[in-house]
Formats: sequence, C-alpha cells, structure tokens
Amino acid sequence: MLMDPALGRVIERCRDGDRDAFEEVVDRYGLQLLRTARLILRDQALAEDAVQETFLRAWQRIGSLRDEDPGPWLNRIAMNESISAYRRRHRFQALTERFGRLSGGKREVSSEAHLDLAHAFDQLSAEQRAAIALHYYQDLSVEDTAKALRVPVDTMKSRLKTALRRLRDLTGSEEISA
Amino acid sequence: MSDKFENDLREHLHHEAEEIREFPRRLRGRIREGIAPRARPRMAPQLALAGALVLVAVAVLAVRNPQVITVVVSPIKNLLQPSPSPTPQPFACSDRSGGTTGLLGQLTAIRVAHHAEAPGFDRMVFDFSSGIPSYDLIRQESSTFVRDASGQSVTLAGSTGIKLIFRDTDVQGVPDDQKPNLPAVREIENIGNFERVLSYGIGLSSSQCVRVLELSNPSRLVVDVTTSTSASASPAPTPLPTVPEATDLGPFSCQDRGGGSETSPAMRLTDVRVAHQAAGYDRIVFQFAPPVGASAHLPAYTVSRQASTKFVKDPSGLEVTMRGSSGLRIVFHGASGADSYTKSRDITPGLPVVQEVEQLGDFEAVLSWGAGLSRPSCIRTLELSNPTRLVIDVQTP
Repeated sequence: MLMDPALGRVIERCRDGDRDAFEEVVDRYGLQLLRTARLILRDQALAEDAVQETFLRAWQRIGSLRDEDPGPWLNRIAMNESISAYRRRHRFQALTERFGRLSGGKREVSSEAHLDLAHAFDQLSAEQRAAIALHYYQDLSVEDTAKALRVPVDTMKSRLKTALRRLRDLTGSEEISA
Repeated sequence: MSDKFENDLREHLHHEAEEIREFPRRLRGRIREGIAPRARPRMAPQLALAGALVLVAVAVLAVRNPQVITVVVSPIKNLLQPSPSPTPQPFACSDRSGGTTGLLGQLTAIRVAHHAEAPGFDRMVFDFSSGIPSYDLIRQESSTFVRDASGQSVTLAGSTGIKLIFRDTDVQGVPDDQKPNLPAVREIENIGNFERVLSYGIGLSSSQCVRVLELSNPSRLVVDVTTSTSASASPAPTPLPTVPEATDLGPFSCQDRGGGSETSPAMRLTDVRVAHQAAGYDRIVFQFAPPVGASAHLPAYTVSRQASTKFVKDPSGLEVTMRGSSGLRIVFHGASGADSYTKSRDITPGLPVVQEVEQLGDFEAVLSWGAGLSRPSCIRTLELSNPTRLVIDVQTP
C-alpha cells in the first residue's frame, strides 16, 4: 500500500533522524496498536510495554521502511512483540504452576460452562487472539491479517475458523450454516 | 458472510478496545525517552577529575621509573585497537557453528562486499554491539528457505544457499532484505526473528565453500564465500551432502521442510519411532491420533536443519546438547503429547546418523523435538495417514 504524500514526507523526516516527525507517527498509529496489543495480551501494562518496544524498534529500523504505508509494517512488529511477550509471561506461569506455587494463568473451563465473549476470548491462544483482533477489530482482510502475522493465507483462514469455532463452543452459540 | 455471532464479536472487540480512550501520556514519554540521544552522564565531571588524577599519578611514576609507561600504555593500546584484519585461512566446504552460548547478542549491521584479490571471495560482516552470540551456519543446495515460525517458503536470488541462525539475539536497524548481487552473494534476507532466534537466508550463485572468522573490537562475525571453484584451499573439503536419486518415496533435500495444517483440536502424539533402513537412511516417525470425536489431520510442522546439537528447551529456555555434531529441530503447531505419549522422551538409538531424539517442549499446543545427527544430512519428509504420521528420513552415508 502506497503512502499519502504528507505521510511520506513525515517518514522521510524520520529517516533523517527527526524525532518530532516520529512522534507524529506515534500519534497516528499508537492508539490502535495499543488497543490491539491489549486485546491480545489481556493486560494493560504488558500491552504498553509491547507498544513501547514496537516504536523503539520501528525508530531503529525506519531506514528499512520502503515507500509503503507504515501501518502494516508497524502492525507486523507489534504482533511479533505482543505474541512474544505473551509467550514469555506464560512460560513463567507454566513453570510456576508445574511446581504448584501459583494457581493463576489460563483457566480450564468445563465443556458445559458457557462463558461470555470476554471470558471466552481469554481462552484462545495468543496467535488466535491476534488473528481475531486484526480481522474483526482492525477489519483487515484475511490476506492482510496473514501478512501481519507472517503466515500463509490458508493457515490464517484455518486459524480464524478454528478460533471462531472455539469461541462459539465456549459461549454456546450455534453456527449458522450458509 | 458474517453471521450474528461474528457481528457480536466485532462489536464486543470494539467495545473492549475503546475502553482505552487515548494514548497514555506516560507511554508517549517513555517512547520519547527511548528514541532520545543518550544524555551525558551526570558523573562526567567526577569521572574527568578521576581520570586527571590517574594521569598525574602515572606521570609522577613515569618520571621516577620510565618503564611504567610501557606497562600502562600497552594494555590500553590492546583495548582500543580493533582486532587485526582476518588473516587468510583455508575455505572449508562444511557447516559451521560457534559464538558464545548464553550471550545476549544485538545485531547492528550487515555489510557485504566483494574482494577481488586471490582467492576471490564475497565477504559478509555481521556486526554485534557486544560479543558474538551462539550461531549455526548451514549450507543448502537451493536458495529456498522456510520462514521461522510461519513455515512459509521464500526463494531468494541465486541457486544455492546458506542459513545463518543466531540464538539469544535481537536486531536493530538492519534492513530485512539486501540484494548485493555480488558474484557469490546474491541476496540476504531475514527469514526469522522470533523469541530471540534470529535467522538469515543467504542466496548464493553457486559456490558454498566458506570461511568464518570471529573478531572483536568491534564484535563481528565475518563470513567469506568463495567466488571461484579453485579457491578452496581446504585440505579435505567436505562436500555438501549429496542428494541421492529420487525413489518412489520422493527425493531427499538438503533444506528445511514444512507442511501439515493448523487445525483444531490439537492432535495427540502417541508414538515416536526411530530405525535404520537398509535403503540408505535413518527414519524418525511421529505418530498422532485425534482426540475423541475429532477427525485426524497432520499438525502444521517445520523441520529445520542446524549445524550444532545445541537446542533450547521450551518453555524453560534451558539449553540441551544432544549427541552428534549437527541437528534437526522438529516443531508441530497444534499438537501435544502431554496426556497421550507415554514412552521415552529421550531416545538414543545410536544409528548411523540419528544419534539421539529428544523432546524439547510441549507447551500451549506447540510440540517440539530435536534430533542429534552424527553428520549434516539431507532429509525427506512423508505425510502418511491411517494412522496419521510424519516420517522424516535422514540420509545415511
């Protein structure tokens, strides 16, 4: 996707090391990235850390951004940061749970229990939540969601379908056949 | 077409997301601080004073004993001088590994240039901010690579390739893709940057003999690739593993493999078998069964070759070294053996090539195993059903 000329000039200034210009980029994309990271990580502090890291990496790599809209590029970095942050946190939780020191973390629910959407969303993996957040919150196409998460389109279709089915199962919603 | 559930989901996500009304000022401040140039340390005046006192002390000592100057200056010179330019070493047609295990690396630049002096070679320099992290350099017979962790294939310019993997490494300010189009090095692309494992695919025109130098001040890994076939001065170059003729089971390939499908629910690992086949390969079989009521499928997988037998366990992050000299990492997405696999999770069959097969992780439906090999080998994967199996054949000499 090509940039609009005004944004192109902002990015050009960023490449020249203009930090004020970069703050314009933060203003333009920051809120949506933070909201998406929060949907994936389910934790405000972790989401803020992921977004901070996203912008710091973007600043360091701004030279590699070609003449394209920085939105998808920032999304890719933010998704990588968010999923990595989630896995780091849950590795620790898994280890502590294994030794019986902590009983938090992902809750197991019985198949009979029907949860509301928020709690059902908690039950998905970080990769599934990222797919759902990009497709249903950011309204990205399946192709663009696949690009942001760096997976083949067919894998993304299957991931979205699986995640939706799990949400339906958890909330007790019926699938409407076409 | 969206149904009511999808519309409800969309509405719910917007509602939940919009609980964050604005971008937090504190976060904006943290980002501003992060991109600001480093301020002069507050201790600068004190450090300057301390430095001046040291100089005065050295001067007084030098007046009394001139030998002091040599004693003081030579370590400082050693510290400040970059390590000497690489001295000529033989090229070797073999995979390489090295670096410092456990060191957190930060790749800051990749430089590429052709050196015309005999023997001609293309030089790639990987700059690190402090120290060279643990790495594997693996040659392969094609320029197609499998991206980590998506499993997607990418074909670079050239006809052969090198995969370079850095562990515990981050990257800053390095372009994801460079096309220097030099005589040997055609393209360098980032093919993985996930969980601090950084991978680059390097597309080569043909030659694959390399020499690797680890240099300091500044820390850099130098990879030279020959540009002429006569350049290999290695006394006993190890050729790239030869690809045996195709059989009914399909050809062997000296590159990473991927396949399967990421479909819910997670498949259950039921068996892992390892055996030698007289036809010239060692065979590793992963067998799966679906959960009750679900249909069978082979989970999405990647089989990645590596030039060492060091692996990182998931989720502990602990390093494990298997038997042999090179390895395979096999990762399944959407699979687990936690409740279904009851046999050994560390198999040491002592076959001609496959020396050890060990589980590395089983966490959040990501199941990973490693294999220690006695030598770098080409592989073939077969996806079989009834029962569902992934077969990995490892070529033997």
